[in-house]
Amino acid sequence: MTDREKFIVYMSICEIPNKKQELFLEELTNFSFHNLFRNNLIAQTLSKEEYHKFVSSYEPMKFESVLENIQNSGIEIITIDDERYPSKLFDLPDRPLVLYAKGDLTLVNERCLAVVGTRRPSNYGKIVTEKFVGTLASSGFVIVSGLCYGVDEIAHNKTLEMGGKTIAVIGSGLSKIYPQSNTNLANEIVGSGGLVLSEYPPSFVAKRYTFPRRNRIVAGLSDGVLITEAGTKSGTVHTKDFALEYGKDIFAVPGSIYSEMSNLTNELIKTAQAECVLSPDDIIEFYGVKKTEQKKIVNVTFEEQTILNLLANGERDFEFLSEQSGISVNILNSCLTTLEIRGLIRKLPAQTYALI
Amino acid sequence: MLSKVLSFGLNGIDGFVTNIETDIVGGVPHFEIVGLGDTAVKESKERVKSAIRNSGFEYPVKHYTINLAPADVKKEGPIYDLGISVGILSASDQIRTKKYKDFVFLGELSLDGSVKKIRGCLPILISARELGFKKFIIPKENAEEARFISGIEVYAFGNLKEVVEFLNDECEKEVKPLETKRFEEVASLKHNKLDFENVKGQAVAKRALEIAAAGGHNVLMIGPPGSGKSMLAKCFSGILPDLTFEEALEVTKIHSIAGELDLTQGIITERPIRTPHHTASIVSLTGGGTHSKPGEISLAHNGVLYLDEFPEYSRQLIETLRQPLEDGQITVARANQTVTYPSSFTLIASMNPCPCGNYGAKGRQCKCTPAQIHKYLAKISGPIMDRIDIQVEVDNIAYSDLHMEKKEESSAEIKKRVDKARKIQLERFAGSKTFSNAKMSVAQTKKFCALSAQCQALMEQAFDNLKLSARAHDRILRVARTIADLEGKQDILPQHLAEAISYRGLDRKYWSV
Repeated sequence: MTDREKFIVYMSICEIPNKKQELFLEELTNFSFHNLFRNNLIAQTLSKEEYHKFVSSYEPMKFESVLENIQNSGIEIITIDDERYPSKLFDLPDRPLVLYAKGDLTLVNERCLAVVGTRRPSNYGKIVTEKFVGTLASSGFVIVSGLCYGVDEIAHNKTLEMGGKTIAVIGSGLSKIYPQSNTNLANEIVGSGGLVLSEYPPSFVAKRYTFPRRNRIVAGLSDGVLITEAGTKSGTVHTKDFALEYGKDIFAVPGSIYSEMSNLTNELIKTAQAECVLSPDDIIEFYGVKKTEQKKIVNVTFEEQTILNLLANGERDFEFLSEQSGISVNILNSCLTTLEIRGLIRKLPAQTYALI
Repeated sequence: MLSKVLSFGLNGIDGFVTNIETDIVGGVPHFEIVGLGDTAVKESKERVKSAIRNSGFEYPVKHYTINLAPADVKKEGPIYDLGISVGILSASDQIRTKKYKDFVFLGELSLDGSVKKIRGCLPILISARELGFKKFIIPKENAEEARFISGIEVYAFGNLKEVVEFLNDECEKEVKPLETKRFEEVASLKHNKLDFENVKGQAVAKRALEIAAAGGHNVLMIGPPGSGKSMLAKCFSGILPDLTFEEALEVTKIHSIAGELDLTQGIITERPIRTPHHTASIVSLTGGGTHSKPGEISLAHNGVLYLDEFPEYSRQLIETLRQPLEDGQITVARANQTVTYPSSFTLIASMNPCPCGNYGAKGRQCKCTPAQIHKYLAKISGPIMDRIDIQVEVDNIAYSDLHMEKKEESSAEIKKRVDKARKIQLERFAGSKTFSNAKMSVAQTKKFCALSAQCQALMEQAFDNLKLSARAHDRILRVARTIADLEGKQDILPQHLAEAISYRGLDRKYWSV
């Protein structure tokens, strides 16, 4: 690692704002630590607190061991000088100068699609996300998302289930994953040959502002951004703004006009900021990717077929299925579970079922 | 003069013999009761004195010493009043025959000489019968509960005067022992109870409760407020199999000790349902305390313990349920004594899916954050979830369903199927200590829940695709066994297994938002 690279990492650990980081890189020539601590430009540019942090955070020797620790824990440090630094991010106006990564870095060069949305999806949002991600992941798209609750989580999980590749860009350090409950998911992603990325040093704890900021990386890494369900107050707004700024394709799935959760997607479609997509095939066609053949459903009993037919028009609850099919409660229950086990339908909260 | 009178005390749910020895000598007037009595026992001095005087007998001014033997066992309550007064009256020659030596005396005295009801009459009579005692004199108010024990002679009196007249053979009319009643006579009497007939919709929940009743499984109902969870739980005891006489005696015993027995009825013929509030203290749930009394979980013995708003109960309270759920009894150890109460009950718990209650509910918006929901669900610990076989979701009922004319199945019809399934289980487990599928041991589960190759494949697929936890495995097998029993099938078929899997909602990943 060159002195310049070390300096970049040091700045990121001291939480120096991006713009100032860029400025220093441009202006300075000698990056050896002893010079830097006495540099006038740095002293003048940084605010009092920042400067204090900068000069007193680490002794140069101690900093070496910090770097080593990070690398020993399986986290790779990629600065903009590194040749592995994603070319997609290089030209962004507000690019991160360093990325901390776990997993397969070559994924960023493939066709990436960000799947984002609300943290609290409705049943509709859940099904839609699963449906789109399921098809797209198995058609070779790398699914990028934010490892948060809701749509993020579903997108990652579904990709893993389909054996696809997924990238998680998180708003905290890699050792302090937020939400904590998704730590396992992050490990699964790395284990499956995916990638977990962050611009924050490993021990960095998530802050309010870090989530909107990581969204620029989500948007930056992706060729297109798919919004499955989001309201106008959702953080997804930021991802959309970045995607627009970077000139990425935006896709939105329409929802009910009464649903608060679909405000944003409907609005985007109305104002023509986003491409309206009604099925995953729309995206596949947009990119001209070869379609994978859908598996034919075979080997279902008469009752099971009846249920599948009833579910063809969207989610239904148990009472409805029971009334319409005339199947007795215990048989219906066991049929639904069998279908669910076979991966043909999905159970949603409150005894509601939907086709996958 | 010295006299010895028999009486009984209560330890846990068993009685023990107490000899009341009364010694009256001349000298300085004094009254002393020895033999580790509590305050109520000590105070019986005043009650006995007034009762004897107010019944028209003499209370000589002398030196009294009363010993309650065995002297090293703690004695509680006013149960010895009657025995002490009979002792005094015979030691002072006011009771002239020796007839009293055959009897066991139980009863509290009032100052006017009337004999008042006691708690724990039934368990004492049962223990005493086992120890070979035949004749008893008890308060009139306790007469009904005594009628169901055969092979003993029980006389019930309303006041001390009648007792003395009886012992002196001075009664005008002949006094007969209580007539015994047969359990079957009262067991057939049905009380007004909630019926599944009146619960509209909720087909899945009803089915789950039917399975729970048939196999003795514990149930957790999850649903938004107002979806009818409590109503369903209250109907549940109506589809449980009838109490057998032995079970009824056990239940009555416990209620008698707790002093909660309906004295006009005597014996409890219906399975109890207890619904302690979530602010209940641990002692009120487990039993014990200074005057050891059975707690809510023992009062629910052979019946149902319904815990509404399950996550609201304190962690410690829920954890105390672990031993009783496993062993069917609870041992309360305190500094001065250790008592064991039976507490074999079916647990029905209900909870909202999230703090605001609307997560997943039709037509309502949940206002909770995912973290809040996680936290709420995490309040119920794994080991407790481990002991709950069936988790079922209950959803709101649409208004139109409430007014549907469709006839719902009555509890009696459901009960018929439950009884049939129970009979199969009794035959299956004959000779072992197990009575229901829910209580099968690991070895028994292996033996009676063998899966065909087809079922094995389904189970494997279910574990992979639904991400079930390992602890779900045996639970599913036991519930599947019950479902097969309900259909009268020898083997567990794939559809039984699939249905059983559907009752493991909380183990599945979808529950995480």
